Amino acid sequence: MSIGKLSTGPTVLFLASLLIGLIISSMTSGLLAQSVIGTGDATDSVLVEVPGVAPATSLVAEEHKYDNGNSIDLYWVPSIDDQPEGGLVRAYHLYRSDNEAEATKIAELLPGANQYRDETVTPDNKYVYHIIAISDGASAKSIKTAPISPHREWLNYDKKYLFLIALIISAAVIFFVETAKRGKKLFIRKIAGLEAIDDAVGRATEMGRPILFIPGILDMDDVQTLAGLTILGRISRVIADYDCKIYAPVSRSLVMTAARETIKASYQAAGRPDAYSDDMVTYMTDEQFGYVAAVDGVMVRERPATVFLLGAFFAESLILAETGNSVGAIQIAGTARPAQLPFFIAACDFTLIGEELFAASAYLSGEPMQLGSLKGQDIGKAIAMVVIVAGVFAITIGEAWDVGFMHDLVRWLSDIFSTK
Amino acid sequence: MEHLGLWVAAFLTLGIYSFLYRDNPWYKLSEAIFIGISAGYWVVTLFWDNFYGKFWVGHGEDPWLWVGAVLGFLMLLRLVPKIGWISRWPLSFIVGATAGLWMMNYFSSNIMLQVKDTIMPLFGSGYTASAYDIVGNIVVAVGTFSGLVYFFFSKEHKGAFGATAKVGIWFIMITFGASFGYTVMSRMSLLIGRMDFLFSDWLGLIK
Amino acid sequence: MKRQVPLLITLFVGTLLIFSVFIPPMENIGENFTLFFDIIAVFAFFLGGGNLVRVHISKLRRRKKDYGYSIITLVGFFFMLIVGLFKIGNPGGIAASVTAEGSIFQTTFTTVLIPLQSTMYALLAFFVASASYRAFRAKNREATLLLVAAFIILLGRTPFGMMLTSWVPDSFSVLQVPNLAIWIMNSPNLAGQRAIIIGIGLGVVSMSLRLILGVERTYLGEDRG
Repeated sequence: MSIGKLSTGPTVLFLASLLIGLIISSMTSGLLAQSVIGTGDATDSVLVEVPGVAPATSLVAEEHKYDNGNSIDLYWVPSIDDQPEGGLVRAYHLYRSDNEAEATKIAELLPGANQYRDETVTPDNKYVYHIIAISDGASAKSIKTAPISPHREWLNYDKKYLFLIALIISAAVIFFVETAKRGKKLFIRKIAGLEAIDDAVGRATEMGRPILFIPGILDMDDVQTLAGLTILGRISRVIADYDCKIYAPVSRSLVMTAARETIKASYQAAGRPDAYSDDMVTYMTDEQFGYVAAVDGVMVRERPATVFLLGAFFAESLILAETGNSVGAIQIAGTARPAQLPFFIAACDFTLIGEELFAASAYLSGEPMQLGSLKGQDIGKAIAMVVIVAGVFAITIGEAWDVGFMHDLVRWLSDIFSTK
Repeated sequence: MEHLGLWVAAFLTLGIYSFLYRDNPWYKLSEAIFIGISAGYWVVTLFWDNFYGKFWVGHGEDPWLWVGAVLGFLMLLRLVPKIGWISRWPLSFIVGATAGLWMMNYFSSNIMLQVKDTIMPLFGSGYTASAYDIVGNIVVAVGTFSGLVYFFFSKEHKGAFGATAKVGIWFIMITFGASFGYTVMSRMSLLIGRMDFLFSDWLGLIK
Repeated sequence: MKRQVPLLITLFVGTLLIFSVFIPPMENIGENFTLFFDIIAVFAFFLGGGNLVRVHISKLRRRKKDYGYSIITLVGFFFMLIVGLFKIGNPGGIAASVTAEGSIFQTTFTTVLIPLQSTMYALLAFFVASASYRAFRAKNREATLLLVAAFIILLGRTPFGMMLTSWVPDSFSVLQVPNLAIWIMNSPNLAGQRAIIIGIGLGVVSMSLRLILGVERTYLGEDRG
């Protein structure tokens, strides 16, 4: 089955489900807003006065919005005897009665507390709360809240804008992938570090020395490792063509497995499956600096002509890059950790900065569809830039002349981009 | 016993430092010990924390954990050449999960939050900012904008666009310089820490 | 089967996790997947650890150069495995935590691993120095900017920076090195960070979509080239 045929199905499925989700979320928003929420006004007043200390007042129980029906928020005004200095209140004890059963203590809180989130409730059960202020030898019970039942919600309406923007940017990426598939030529500018790969591999071939590939120190559950491996796929294809030696010492067992699969496939694609060997990838140790000690040893003993450092790196970035430099290797590095990028810039010949790391595989593939996804990414950048310019302009003007609609625009924008 | 431990620690410390001179048997010995002991340490920790602590203790209460165990088992089928291809299933599971999980995480923390934080009044609330702050605010807005221009892939860096991208890379370089300068001091203190161990804990020269 | 199933698994799992963000009953699914991952990683260790043992035994068998060090690695590995898995010498016996104080496992960790780790880490002091030296010789404008910013921040964090510019009158206090360092951190540095971070976010989104939709599949051992 060709890739063209296969990807249409998932694409349509993906977009369709995003769209349906959006429609449902906008339709139900009104409903959700109305169903908020059996707020427990303090009507049930069984006030027990114990001399010596005053109770907490205005206890209110509210369902926590848009969740799985498993939390209730409680708010109250602390007892007037709860003072930072010389106050009588030593603690608050929070009680809950489930479905009209005897109330039991669910929490003990320090003086000064005025809210609590009860995350131990079950959807659709009925709960009544009260709170007792405790002092030395005396206590005071607050009035009870009205019964409240938390409900399970199926959509988190708070995240509607996150959904909308994710939809727009995903759609842009998918749109350009599809456009490219139909044969429209898309322009992508040159990325220096990636243009240098062929030369770097060629150099290793000429010198008869190996190429070292380091996919970072994190496991397969990090996106940077995935990015590193996708680039490994492209590079090892070139290496297979040049008939040069590649060696990838890794620090995670799963990365070892994935790297082997990746290199093997590239060798197969190059028509040289016999040249592949599992020994191209070996596991060293999971320990960060143990791995560094091992890789440093490999570098000084094997003297690779080219070193690739592509993935997630921490403090070891500079140790590896400087050692590579000292053996005279051409080094191409890339990571999404801003704190480590300066060290790669100082010690390596080419550095892929953040986004370039994730774009590299698509760029190297040269396939129109992959390049299309880079174009989609640019739409995201354009949106971010427009919002920044419009937002800064509106808020600056709005502050200066107190223009009403500018305030509205700013409020609207920050509402959209706030992530709850 | 404590004395022996101190000498072992000092021996290994000097062994690693000897690498700065050149590769040598002392470093090779320290490296071999490092690899063997640390790999063993990780298996044991993974076994007790993840397998025993998370799966063995929890699988009765949470039968879903069997999914992890089954996927883990499928991974081992690599060792059987004929059905080794099944191990791609857990691998693709991990890739799908990582991609899906991080995509939304990065979406809110890297894109939405940063864009929102950049929207601020250049002259402060109600024109109260000092000249110093105003310059700072303008620099942040211009720098973020031009930095994004630098990362644009689908347009050649030429003309006004290229000039803006150039400004963008300047900002990015200043950022790198700042992190570089910021880190140098803390790296030096690491060295001081090791010297303190050698001269005070081990040799007792500094009290 | 061999080609389609993995792609479908990635598509399904990826899509599920994207949507779980918006659906409260599914909000814990990400945590569950992390748990699955931890369990899979333990199984995978049979492959990694197995590879380590195999590589060193084969060096030993073939009497390759430096095979003596392979013996040490193997001894160290199995030593930790045995004292750790069977909790040998653990004062609390098999029921105690493997890292209990006084156990052979924990003692080895503190006397052998800790000094090795911290010394390897401390090598950075030397490498930072050599990298700075190289940066000093850089000739283009970008490298100069990097260097100047690094220099100001570095000075700003030392008393020397204060001394150097204490003569600057207070009305121009911005130009005193420590203040300048703060300004660089808060303004141009922040701007550069933001651009990088937003770019990374978009890069991750786009790559994730490529993986989930099966456009990018090199990792699966399926290159169609």
